[in-house]
Amino acid sequence: MNLAETLKLALASIMAHKLRSFLTLLGMIIGMTAFMVVLSLLQGFSAYVDEKIAGIGSSSFTVQRFNFEDFKDTDSIAAAQRRNKELTFDELDFIKERAQLVSYIGAKAGNTSRDVRYGTETLAEVSITGAEPVIGIIDNIDVEYGRYFTESENNNSMRVAFVGSDISTKLFPQGDALGNEIMISGIPYRIIGIQVAKGTVFGQPRDNFVQLPIKTFGANFGGLKWQRAPYFVVMAKDGVKMADAVDEVRTLMRIKRKLPTGEKDNFGIVTPDAISGLIGSFTRAFSIVILFVPGIALMVGAIVIMNIMLVAVTERTKEIGIRKSLGARQADILRQFLFESGLLSAIGGLMGLILAFVLGIIITKFVFPTKIPWWAAVIAISVSAAVGILAGLFPAWKAAKLDPIEALRAD
Amino acid sequence: MYRFMENENGNSEPAFQPQTSTGEGLITMKNIWKTYQMGVEELHALRDVTFRVNKGEYLAIIGPSGSGKSTLMNLIGCLDSPSKGEYWINGNLVSKMTDDELAHIRNKEIGFVFQTFNLLARATALHNVELPLIYAGMRAGERNEKAQAALASVELGDRVGHKPNELSGGQRQRVAIARALVNHPSILLADEPTGALDSKTSVEIMALFEKLHAEGNTIIVVTHEHEVAERAHRVITIRDGQIEKDEKIR
Ligand SMILES: Nc1ncnc2c1ncn2[C@@H]1O[C@H](COP(=O)(O)OP(=O)(O)OP(=O)(O)O)[C@@H](O)[C@H]1O
Ligand SMILES: [Mg+2]
Repeated sequence: MNLAETLKLALASIMAHKLRSFLTLLGMIIGMTAFMVVLSLLQGFSAYVDEKIAGIGSSSFTVQRFNFEDFKDTDSIAAAQRRNKELTFDELDFIKERAQLVSYIGAKAGNTSRDVRYGTETLAEVSITGAEPVIGIIDNIDVEYGRYFTESENNNSMRVAFVGSDISTKLFPQGDALGNEIMISGIPYRIIGIQVAKGTVFGQPRDNFVQLPIKTFGANFGGLKWQRAPYFVVMAKDGVKMADAVDEVRTLMRIKRKLPTGEKDNFGIVTPDAISGLIGSFTRAFSIVILFVPGIALMVGAIVIMNIMLVAVTERTKEIGIRKSLGARQADILRQFLFESGLLSAIGGLMGLILAFVLGIIITKFVFPTKIPWWAAVIAISVSAAVGILAGLFPAWKAAKLDPIEALRAD
Repeated sequence: MYRFMENENGNSEPAFQPQTSTGEGLITMKNIWKTYQMGVEELHALRDVTFRVNKGEYLAIIGPSGSGKSTLMNLIGCLDSPSKGEYWINGNLVSKMTDDELAHIRNKEIGFVFQTFNLLARATALHNVELPLIYAGMRAGERNEKAQAALASVELGDRVGHKPNELSGGQRQRVAIARALVNHPSILLADEPTGALDSKTSVEIMALFEKLHAEGNTIIVVTHEHEVAERAHRVITIRDGQIEKDEKIR
């Protein structure tokens, strides 16, 4: 008996009990849907992270007061707060003068949130930061209109602002933002540049900011200290490995801070690798836990399929006897039932996949970008077919081993 | 060891060349017992049955109801195994054959018309008749043609699409006969093949059997009808699981 024949037979018996087949598959469908939705969320999440977070200025790294490890627990936060000093412009200059592997280094500061006003319109809770003009190069800032800061604007603490696209669209619906003055805490700033719209990350708008020259920011927002202390963004030279540049900057920082060898850094260096690594390990741990639940649903689905196949074998004992009396070999019967359970399960998997796909579109549209990778779809179908075949193994074996005359006597 | 010879077309040659050298028949039963354990009691459906059937014989088995005729047919058809004794088919001991070899015999060498028809309820007459050809590995086109022809030969050419429950008892029996004949078996086993047929159809079926016999096939038929038994060349009478009489009538 050939494959096409067996497949036709399997399909016919599934179609003979449409409702029963469907009910049998519910577990499989739900399990597969849950599995794929969760997987697509995780995939979407890490694609998002790769693209939008870790990807930002991926050739640059940051020198800051604290390290990732310092946030382990409250004790180490407290210890770091005592040990680690705020970065200074002295240190920035020290590195800038001596580093060989660094192409650009610049300071940033900030994240204060303030209301921004134009005329009678107010935008609440806009992120205000300060940055050196070189940050425009390091962060590879996309300017839509106007330009980024100049050195003299920074050195003279001029009241100029580079703004996110939200500021221009919300406060200047006419599109006349450039050159106009916005008010922050009662001080006017002239808009000199507008960034290309960036959209949101995890519901966080990334276009709702005002960036000022760092000296302007320091002068008007209470000085560059505490949470407004500067941190450095460093770009390695072309052709230089980032790790080497990181090492160099670390050494220079240690020299400047006179740290004896063997003592821990009292500052932190954060690389994009560290960020994506951190998020990656979080996602992995999360994946295992979150995929476990749909995994159980799949297993329950498999058990239900096994059960229905056992029922089918019992119901069709007579049929098996007839087939055997006409020359069906054990292999033919085995294949017939394995195909049936495999096909049944694969149909369930396919339905689950389609459902997950539809849900994915909806989720992407309203909540969060999701992504079903093609390999996951292929795996989903093969896994569900394999699960079905596995679940059908015992019932099919029982059917194949039936004694022909005993089977013929069944009714 | 039992072996099938396959020619290039994948069709097996009849595996049953009479082995005159050893003196064995096509079918040889030696001291066959079939015992059912009914609780503490033993029920002997067959007791010490010994007989031989040569290739090309036309044999009728008669006997009262419950005497063991169907039990014997199931043994001959390799569907059941004896409790005691030896069953040789074409010089090979059936109890030593593998499952696949038995399946091959049931498929290629034996055409079985069951007393209760044993048709697949969900399948059409045509599909029922196609089944032995499917397991013989025949292609769809050829299979369809052969099954159509077999149904036409039992005058059911216009009922191919009917399911068993859409056919009369006699029509079902004819489907069963068409199915038994479709693969050109070398042994035809028929358990009451004319039981549900009117006399005209019975005569036609008997004529068909005779034609098959004339072509060199071996035919064993269980019947309680004298007209049917009289067509055979040899009649075995069974009573209480034992052979009471074994006579050549032609
Ligand atoms: N599976 C079984 N279990 C127990 N007893 C059985 C079984 N099959 C048959 N028998 C018994 O074996 C005996 C022979 O049965 P069998 O079917 O061979 O009779 P038969 O000659 O074909 O009768 P009929 O002409 O009515 O078809 C009967 O007494 C029957 O009750
Ligand atoms: Mg009987």
